[in-house]
Amino acid sequence: MITRWLAALVGFIVVAGIGLVVGNFSEEQAGNSWALVAAIALAVGFVVYAGVEYAQTGGFASISSQFGMRTLALMPVAIAINIILGAAVANALKVPIYLDSIGTILVGALAGPIPGALTGFVANILWQYIIPPPFQGAVAAPFAIVAAVIGLLAGLFARYGALRPRPDRPMSQLFSGAVITVAVVGGVSWLAFLGYEQIIGPAGFEVASDETLFVILGWLALAMVAATVVGLIVLLFVRRDLTAAYVVVAGLVTGVVAALISAPISANLFGGVTGAGTDFLVAAFRQAGADIGAATLGQGLISDPVDKITTFFVVYLVLNAMATRTKARFPQGERLIEGGAEVAEEGDEWRGAST
Amino acid sequence: MAGSVDLIEGRSLPAAIGRPGPSAVHRLNPLTKATLATTTSVAAVVLGGLVGPLLLVAVAVVLPAIAAGVVGRLAKTALLLALPIALSAFLVNVFFFPGAETVLFRIGPITATAEGLGFAFEIMARIMAISGAVTLFYLTTRPADLVLDLERRGVSPRVAFVANASVQTVPAMVERAAQITAAQRARGLDTEGSPWRRVRGIVPIVGPVILGSIAEVEERTMALEARAFTRPGRRTLLWSPADSRAESLVRWGLLIGLVALIGLRIGGVLA
Repeated sequence: MITRWLAALVGFIVVAGIGLVVGNFSEEQAGNSWALVAAIALAVGFVVYAGVEYAQTGGFASISSQFGMRTLALMPVAIAINIILGAAVANALKVPIYLDSIGTILVGALAGPIPGALTGFVANILWQYIIPPPFQGAVAAPFAIVAAVIGLLAGLFARYGALRPRPDRPMSQLFSGAVITVAVVGGVSWLAFLGYEQIIGPAGFEVASDETLFVILGWLALAMVAATVVGLIVLLFVRRDLTAAYVVVAGLVTGVVAALISAPISANLFGGVTGAGTDFLVAAFRQAGADIGAATLGQGLISDPVDKITTFFVVYLVLNAMATRTKARFPQGERLIEGGAEVAEEGDEWRGAST
Repeated sequence: MAGSVDLIEGRSLPAAIGRPGPSAVHRLNPLTKATLATTTSVAAVVLGGLVGPLLLVAVAVVLPAIAAGVVGRLAKTALLLALPIALSAFLVNVFFFPGAETVLFRIGPITATAEGLGFAFEIMARIMAISGAVTLFYLTTRPADLVLDLERRGVSPRVAFVANASVQTVPAMVERAAQITAAQRARGLDTEGSPWRRVRGIVPIVGPVILGSIAEVEERTMALEARAFTRPGRRTLLWSPADSRAESLVRWGLLIGLVALIGLRIGGVLA
């Protein structure tokens, strides 16, 4: 057991080291390449762990125990949801978000971090190679590692109870939840704003206003953010569900991580342009004077948190609409049910036998 | 999905399984074609520039497509796949290229530059190579063949199931969405008109599609358990695509060539 973890750690460090030496760390890109290197090193660490376990035991028991038949049956549905919604949003709607990780986050929440990561990874590979044309994506496979990290994070958030309903909490708790959420979002926005000033120079809000196109797009983006915010406020204060605050934080963290990993991939492979609605944002950043790497990172830091908060919100609504008994049968299902944490603690021993 | 094994309903093998493909390219082992598509895509990125990717398109996409007799369909499918990205890459790079100075012309506040045009053509060549390579693979390979071949090589039947079932679930879910749309419109849902109305129309369509599909997971689970899908040991495949020593050599040759190319690029031999 300890050998596997040590081997995985060595694999992670070796790849991270190679990445730091070989990686293209010019001044502007230094901030966005380390995340990609870390993600690749994480994937290699996982492969090493699996390889050592296979060499020791001739199987993948500790990994495959997370894959009951129920999880396996859910994964194709999740992959199809990812691909259909992702393709529809990218090809038809032309809005600067993706919505291609609802299935990934759903599997992460219901089945755990490893199934979530594999769902994201496999979805993007299949999307590029064997899904029939109207839904095929020409640029999906290089982003498979981003999708894997999204699934992993979603699984971890759900494991620690971030998606468990917390209805009918007292007003004081809801209020402090709202304050903390606003503070986190505000803090991250402030950091992002400082980052933009570093990258692009003084970023006054009046700069872009002489171009009608960007003003309209800005309003569109704002409208979508506003819709999500209104939904979350309804969740928080009408249903008095404290989880709304957790959803925002989980989505924000996942989004920032996804942006940091995907920006260097997108910038180096495609010059930041992937044919989706996000290209408008890249164009806007470039018009403001950013180079390709900075423009892509800027686009990601706007699109991804909004996208992931929306996605986590949708997944939370889907989970709430599912019957409790259906949820509870998934490996991580107890952690998605009101008051389910205690049940999960004592259920861990016998659960392996039932799935 | 004609020609795929329907694992879910447990029907018998369709006639297409095991039937040889119409051309030598079709009859290649699926893994060989997948390797070719992947190495072509990666090589196009590694080579960069304009000449390299276009040469790759000619050698690794157009020639095999001619041999397979799918040039027409390849051109159509690959263009449809690449068009949105190519168009976007063209517009964004020509008009918003950072640091470009050679002005071609101006439209209002935005400026077209020569540097941007050059970069746009490079990105378009790259995207053409990637979408061409993937489309060639797609047109000459049945998804089920690839999955069966991978399973023969020791990939877990669980992974094979997920891949195969995903390919079938996509059209099934689209069909379900169409049925639900029709049903909701019969109940008075407005799916045309102003953007706001359309956005509001998404909820009563997407909701039932996702929840209905998840509800089906339960039935599938029981069906697969009842057929002993999770029992230990390997399954015996009744048929899998042919493979040969020569093809194995070609695959390793492609991979070694790709690694060499990356080495040359990092070493600074290729500009």
